[in-house]
Amino acid sequence: MNQATFDKERIDPVLADMFIPPSSHDNETHLVASKCNKCGVYFFPKRHICPNCFEEGTLEDKYLSNEASIYTYCVVRAAPVGFDSPYILGYVDLPEGIRIFTMIETDNMDDLKIGARVRLIAGKIRRDENGEDVMGYKFSVMKER
Amino acid sequence: MREISIVGAGMTKFAKMPERDVIDLGREACIKAIKSSGVPRKDIQIAYCGTARTGQLLNRECGVGQTILLDIGISGIPVTSVGNFCASGSSALREAYLAIASGMYDVALAIGVEKLSVRKGKGLPLTSDGVTLLTALGFSPPAYFAEIATRHMYEFGTTEKQMALVTVKNRGHSRYNPNCQYQTSVTVEEVLASRPIVDPLRMLNCCPTTDGAGAILLCAKDLAWKYTDKPVDIIASSLHFGLYEKNKDMTTFNSDRASGKEAYEMAGLGPKDIDVAEVHDCFSIAEILHYEDLGFCPRGEGGPFVEQGKADIGGEVAINPSGGLLSRGHPLGGTGLAQTTEIFWQLRGEADKRQVPGARVGMTHTMGGFQDSIELADVASSCIHIYRQGW
Repeated sequence: MNQATFDKERIDPVLADMFIPPSSHDNETHLVASKCNKCGVYFFPKRHICPNCFEEGTLEDKYLSNEASIYTYCVVRAAPVGFDSPYILGYVDLPEGIRIFTMIETDNMDDLKIGARVRLIAGKIRRDENGEDVMGYKFSVMKER
Repeated sequence: MREISIVGAGMTKFAKMPERDVIDLGREACIKAIKSSGVPRKDIQIAYCGTARTGQLLNRECGVGQTILLDIGISGIPVTSVGNFCASGSSALREAYLAIASGMYDVALAIGVEKLSVRKGKGLPLTSDGVTLLTALGFSPPAYFAEIATRHMYEFGTTEKQMALVTVKNRGHSRYNPNCQYQTSVTVEEVLASRPIVDPLRMLNCCPTTDGAGAILLCAKDLAWKYTDKPVDIIASSLHFGLYEKNKDMTTFNSDRASGKEAYEMAGLGPKDIDVAEVHDCFSIAEILHYEDLGFCPRGEGGPFVEQGKADIGGEVAINPSGGLLSRGHPLGGTGLAQTTEIFWQLRGEADKRQVPGARVGMTHTMGGFQDSIELADVASSCIHIYRQGW
């Protein structure tokens, strides 16, 4: 995926508020979280009220880190309609102290393991009823240096 | 709080039954429960009916219980629908239990029913209820349990063979249970050679799509002698919504630990006192976690526990002598009360060739459902009951 030519029109509406895709002035993808300025905890996706503090107006939008590590994963063989199997799902740990469910991709299945470093990208998640790509965010396993 | 006894239980055969509707299934379970109890219909004062998917699949959100009861000549009593994911039937039992325990009612009927075979997508996993965001990212229940399995294997060395042995054990029990969808044994090799669904889970690690119903008649213990010489007492009932926390350890279910702890305290018993348990083996890895979360073995030792035969009939605790969800199938709302029916029969010594010898204390455990959360992982409901011979 050429991140600079990402087609915003094809983003899944369900995921649209959760991330900022790459653009001509920023080649990075960003996950948008809420951070509570009272308790310091991050929430993804964004929340309306901090569930810890239960006060109005303590949340602010923050980008999450773009690198994470795999906590666990699975390889889906029997795919729901619109998803091309096999594909990888998992939970990844972010430095902000949260673990999130995400799609994961890799060029080499041997690199897929617990603890592997992954990097946020924008990319294809599934196909719609017309066979067109539906876009979102996912994490890609990084090459070990 | 008043003591409660079960005086009647009944269930349909669990199978894909395209010719039967949800009312037909519920009616059969209720007739069997009522006839087995000796309770005249006029004595039944309140009823609860647990379903999870009749709205989405059958355009029937409310009124399943009322329609079933009307069909068997019961009307005019309070009837409430109970929806609580996979624990809908068990939650209906809990509501009936609470109604009698409160002192407001003496005799109650709990129904649990579901018809899942009408869903589209044969051969594909059932999607979960109301998880739009997770579904958009490719989530399904087997994927969730496969992620748990990967982590459990990583942390504790649990093996695919140990997971297969859960299926082998439960399918072995199913040979003696005519109510199961599958009634044949399988080998470890057959499990490991079955179709991959979500690595590391294969087809025979997953419970099948099924239709079925169960019903339980319960009353205040001091009235039970009117109806039967062999009442089965409910000595604990606990229910927890998921206990969600950040960075949750996915090799354990917080909700199950909370429900288990509360149930043991309520019963004044511990895991060693349980002779027989029907637990929610929706996937084979789930049963391994349940051994640990319900205290039958220490953390991380669920794999060896099944491998060493400790979950067998004749082992430390007989787990899923009915064949479990892996054999019986899992019609969401129907499952919980099929589990209770099995324990009712086991404690009364009526479980035929799958009878657990000397079973006096039993447990049922039903769990499931998901919140539409990217960062919080637990199940949305966990319901546990403990039972003891009441005579």
